Amino acid sequence: MSKRWNPIVPIAAFVVAMSGCVTDENSPGLEYMPDMYRSPAVEAYVDYGMDPYYVTEEVAVGQRNTQSARKPVAGTIPFVGANKAFGLPYAYPNTPEGYEAAGMELASPLSTTKAHIEAGMEIYVQMCTQCHGEEGKGDGALSRNGHIAGIPSYSDKLKDLPMGKMYHTLTYGKGLMGSHASQLSQKDRWLVIEYIKVLQQGGEMPEFDESGNVVESAADGAMAMNN
Amino acid sequence: MRNKNFQRLGRLLGTTRILTIASLMVVQSLSAQSIWEDGDVDNGQALFNANCASCHLVTADVLAAPGLAGIADRWGSSDELLVQWIQNPQGAAATGDGYIRSLVERYVGTYGWMSAQAVSADDVRDIMAYVQNPPDVDVASTSDNGCINIDELPEEKTEDSSTLWFVILLVMFLLIAMSASGVNRGLTNAIREREGESQLEDLGYLARLRGWAWNNMVFVSVLGLFLVAFGVVKGYQGLMGVGVYEGYLPEQPVKFIHSVHVCENEVDCKYCHHSAYESKHAGIPSTNVCMNCHKAVKKGSRYGEVEIGKIYAAIGFDPETGTYFDGEGNNGHYGPQDSFNGEPIKWNKVHNLPDHVYFSHQQHVVVGGLQCQNCHGDVETWSAGRIASVDHINTLVDKYPGLIELSKPTLTMGWCIECHNKASIDLASSAYYEEMHDRMKDDVRGNEELRRILEDEKITVKEMGGWECSKCHY
Repeated sequence: MSKRWNPIVPIAAFVVAMSGCVTDENSPGLEYMPDMYRSPAVEAYVDYGMDPYYVTEEVAVGQRNTQSARKPVAGTIPFVGANKAFGLPYAYPNTPEGYEAAGMELASPLSTTKAHIEAGMEIYVQMCTQCHGEEGKGDGALSRNGHIAGIPSYSDKLKDLPMGKMYHTLTYGKGLMGSHASQLSQKDRWLVIEYIKVLQQGGEMPEFDESGNVVESAADGAMAMNN
Repeated sequence: MRNKNFQRLGRLLGTTRILTIASLMVVQSLSAQSIWEDGDVDNGQALFNANCASCHLVTADVLAAPGLAGIADRWGSSDELLVQWIQNPQGAAATGDGYIRSLVERYVGTYGWMSAQAVSADDVRDIMAYVQNPPDVDVASTSDNGCINIDELPEEKTEDSSTLWFVILLVMFLLIAMSASGVNRGLTNAIREREGESQLEDLGYLARLRGWAWNNMVFVSVLGLFLVAFGVVKGYQGLMGVGVYEGYLPEQPVKFIHSVHVCENEVDCKYCHHSAYESKHAGIPSTNVCMNCHKAVKKGSRYGEVEIGKIYAAIGFDPETGTYFDGEGNNGHYGPQDSFNGEPIKWNKVHNLPDHVYFSHQQHVVVGGLQCQNCHGDVETWSAGRIASVDHINTLVDKYPGLIELSKPTLTMGWCIECHNKASIDLASSAYYEEMHDRMKDDVRGNEELRRILEDEKITVKEMGGWECSKCHY
């Protein structure tokens, strides 16, 4: 009788082994060669401490909670190409005086052309409409849903807002509006301002000549064509 | 205005000097009517929303400037000064009034100067009527906006439990077979005992199984063939599933709900994932991007202050005062201070490609003009981010025109090159393509190549080199 084995033990072992097959939502699943998926090369949003494959456990624990997304060294100026108009740090301080000074002095390095206005419109639709509304009346979804009140209309209260103040506000934020400098490059900021200038005039696109420059007025344009 | 009233009153009451003086007094008392009384609440609300609401709340809470609850107690009888303060804050401060000086000292450094408001004294009276007795705020209804969140729908029992039942049945079958064989042996032994024969040798289960298999060779070999085939198929499927992440949905440190942000409040995908335009990564937004809205939106529709509070803790924002902390625990004046030592929110990466694959969002979003949904599915109907399965994305073809139907699992190489073979290039989208087209037209061999490429009347990504190994592996 001693040769007979009890079936309960292997069945219990089998059940225990199968319970390991329950899917864990926090695990991405099996991988071939995980060291290729989770490499030590600098990649965004990778927690290097997660991967003790080729570092020792000690090093892995030491690295835990370090991130590849770091603040640049203080005083760093990002290189965005040779165009100095979009590459130098913003000169005006984030003070009420800086705001006024920017409004008086700061001018756009961009000319008002069809291409610039359309590029600005694309940025506006993606970055601004949820608050300022599609026509810039301050009636975006966040306003309609009652989350943010009192967003001013470009064509009404902000009709005469100078470009420099817009740029200052985009860079530092003002009142409830936060800084958008991390989302919009300097060029993007000036592009979207080109479109906001159109919205200040009620949203009518100005007339363009063949090279995409704005025709001063319809009458002038007709005269130019006659000549 | 006052002059006109004065003249009209003067005319009405006659032109004698005494009466003029008397009328002057009447007008004075009329215009000096307290701004805390007899205002029009409805007009005040409209004016407040147009001019004040972007910074002030009618409660004591801070938005981008101090809350206005109890304003009557603070300003008391200095009506004219309050009107002047609203119309021209810097001018009012120049009067040297003690209360205004205290306001300037306390708040201007933190919130900046209030901008001068183009409102009349009568407008201020209406506004104050509203501020003192604000009607109950309607909570914006978000239930009828046509937005759905599949994670919040009542859970359907779609879980496939057939494997579990199969295992349970198999175990039961084995138990029955073993006990039946035991009973069989016991009965045989009982019969043998009655008939005076010797007992069966106790062989154990394995030996008996071998004996049984030997006796039923055909059945056992058919069963064995079937089991091997089953194992091969299952094993192949299992190996093909290695490195496939469809449906991967890791837990996140903040219970972020995409449907609330994208569908209900119409925040564009690229507002937060803005680096999709100029980087290989679409990017997880840093906390300052959250703050662009959550400086004002302090309470979530699902989790109240709990989840939004995690953002505040990470960036060092005090929702009570509406200001950021610096490293010493003081209120910083403008934006997060460099010295702030906050714990970053550690989002879990969902989409991960191996190191030997180069993928760029910029190339696909800017140059290719793909919609996010083409690869990521209808994220606006989800809570947390996950990897959409290709079957799910295929169901969205009607909803998003231009979406390409594919068959291989998402984020696998098969999926990538299947799409590169199907997706056509819009030649008008870039001067580069036009240049290439012109050069090929002018060249004999190029012309032949062009003819071959255009046989199916479209130019696919593959035909532009999208199947070259070194495009993605280098």
